[in-house]
Amino acid sequence: MFLTRSEYDRGVNTFSPEGRLFQVEYAIEAIKLGSTTVGIRTNEGVVLGVEKRVQSPLLESSSIEKIMEIDRHLGCAMSGLTADARTMVDHARVTSQNHAFTYDEHIKVESVTQAVCDLALRFGESVHDEDAMMSRPFGVALLIAGIDELGPQLYHTDPSGTFVRYSAKAIGSGSEAAQSELQDKWNSSMSLLEAQKLTLRVLKQVMEEKLDHHNVQLAQASADRPLSRRAVSY
Amino acid sequence: MARGRTRWWWKRETRSVTVTQVTRSLEDSEERPNMAMELNGGSVIAMVGKNCVAIASDLRLGNQALTVATNFEKIFPVSEQLYIGLCGLATDVETLRERFRFLVNMYTIKESRAISPQAFAHLVSSTLYEKRFGPYFIEPVIAGLEPITTTPTDGSAPTTEFRPFIAGADVIGCLNFAKDFIVTGTASDKLFGVAEGLWEPDLGPEDLFETISQTLLNAVDRDAYSGWGAVVHVITPDKVVSRTLKARMD
Amino acid sequence: MPSMEHVAHPQQRAFNPYTENGGTILAIAGADFTVIAGDTRQSEGYSIQTRYAPKVFRLTDRAVLAVNGFAADGNMFVKKVKQRLEWYRHAHAKDMPLRAIARLIQTMLYAQRFFPYYVYNILGGIEDDGTGAVYSFDPVGSYEREACRAAGAAQSLVQPFLDNQIYFKNQQAAPGQTHPSHLPLPDVLSIVIDSFTSATERHIEVGDGLEMYIVLAKGRNTQGMESLHGVQELSSKLDGERVFVVRRELKKD
Repeated sequence: MFLTRSEYDRGVNTFSPEGRLFQVEYAIEAIKLGSTTVGIRTNEGVVLGVEKRVQSPLLESSSIEKIMEIDRHLGCAMSGLTADARTMVDHARVTSQNHAFTYDEHIKVESVTQAVCDLALRFGESVHDEDAMMSRPFGVALLIAGIDELGPQLYHTDPSGTFVRYSAKAIGSGSEAAQSELQDKWNSSMSLLEAQKLTLRVLKQVMEEKLDHHNVQLAQASADRPLSRRAVSY
Repeated sequence: MARGRTRWWWKRETRSVTVTQVTRSLEDSEERPNMAMELNGGSVIAMVGKNCVAIASDLRLGNQALTVATNFEKIFPVSEQLYIGLCGLATDVETLRERFRFLVNMYTIKESRAISPQAFAHLVSSTLYEKRFGPYFIEPVIAGLEPITTTPTDGSAPTTEFRPFIAGADVIGCLNFAKDFIVTGTASDKLFGVAEGLWEPDLGPEDLFETISQTLLNAVDRDAYSGWGAVVHVITPDKVVSRTLKARMD
Repeated sequence: MPSMEHVAHPQQRAFNPYTENGGTILAIAGADFTVIAGDTRQSEGYSIQTRYAPKVFRLTDRAVLAVNGFAADGNMFVKKVKQRLEWYRHAHAKDMPLRAIARLIQTMLYAQRFFPYYVYNILGGIEDDGTGAVYSFDPVGSYEREACRAAGAAQSLVQPFLDNQIYFKNQQAAPGQTHPSHLPLPDVLSIVIDSFTSATERHIEVGDGLEMYIVLAKGRNTQGMESLHGVQELSSKLDGERVFVVRRELKKD
């Protein structure tokens, strides 16, 4: 006997008869409510940019952290339920450190992305004796940027645990407009500086507020200095 | 009563002996080298060349890991073309040096001739074997030239050739007449390895000097109990060249 | 009089799970090659168990591992290293670099800190930058990159010889000249062969056979190997680093 649609909504690990996991799909929807986040890959490095929604003039915008360092050569920007990202970044950091400890080398960008995505699907009912598990899908998408022996790379992960490599990617509320702008303006030979400018231009276009050094944050992973982060004002 | 008590004591003793034997056999299961041979450290090597021999040693005297002196010679002349290296317990080095000096002097006076390397080797052997059950902790090395005098049948003057001679012995005088080289001391295994790699037959005095020096230096540099300087004696029919080598002092 | 015959004596028993199986291994790094060698005799005490038990193993096209000490531990350790290399290949879509293998071996050995693998490891091969490299380990994972290293029963015989012939210890360069930091392949091969014939001559646990692995850097030709007969190539591809093995007889007495 089939359950009603609303009943499939509740179980996080039950497929609907049409083959869907509603909770995972809703989690992906949650990303679209998040602030816009942009990533651009160039041959010199990767630029990440985030919009910080400063909801109140009393809010200290420097306390909003949407770009995090995973390792010296890896960074990530997030959109969605940013609190969930802490768990994922934590996992990524441990994975990266463990790799360096065991193999005396930087972990590859793809490998750390894979590790994060392994975690993304580890939700459901925890069996007794098991460490507390995530009871629902993570409501956050990540742009993971980094440099390894294959050069600068940008990966996108979503709550379904899928990951894809991009030349440029936008996520969050303004992602549709941002993505089409990136598609228009990105080219394979752009410099890091051009990528920084493009990131800001795209964010400016999709943001409701006027862009300033409080409500936007940039970071980049480049060969000379693996990960640098700054609040920019142009 | 007395018999009974004796038996009782005997039994008790047997029991305690059994216990100590158990402990001893456990300790002995690990092959333990004679401590006296490593107390003071030091190494000696001798090599055969073409019409020449060489003998060399380090200069260290230690008390276990503590270096006490760096001018402790272990090689002594026996006659003009015969040297002995005494390696092992330092006190026995001195004792045997004096003992061999005495014995060789007595031999020379009685026989009115210099002792041959062959004869000296056997003198060393029998002197060590005298103390078969309480030995000197010395493994000697002997190096010299054996004079071979041939008198031609046609009446012309007799000629003397010199044949290289080296020999080694264990602490109770078991002789080893090697054709190539003899090594002893705390670096003996290292000396074996390097000598086996570097030595070749019919080396002239200069090449032999280089070969024995390199062998000794590189071996003692890997031995904590040997080193701190070295001496080399190259014995040829007409002279003995003794050199002190510049070595690592650590 | 009470009989003492049946009084139990204190007894001590101990189980020793380790054996020393003899043999010797050796590795020398060149500028763009590495030679890793080992004899093939396996003994226990004064008896020879077999005259052919390999102690040197190809891990990848650029890494060769020599293992000496307790043979059972050595074989199991190599097996586990190979398994970890396979997992790494699947997880990261590449062969593990040499220095990563070296670090992996350290963590694997140290994981057994209180019941160690009774083995001395020497890892040889080609580094990511194309240089020849040798890493040597103690049984609990302390390791170091070196130009050459001998280990095993005849380590004390071979290492000072290598000091002299590879590092030119106690040798002075001719006026105006310096000692080479790396030797050409033919020189290294003859030093390896000489080391093993010497060790065979003077050590009872060394002999029977010699296996020499030669790892060449990417793009290096086989120059210096022409004089060797019976060379067998083990590389999985021809355009990367290449691995060869040469086998020689050693005295069997």
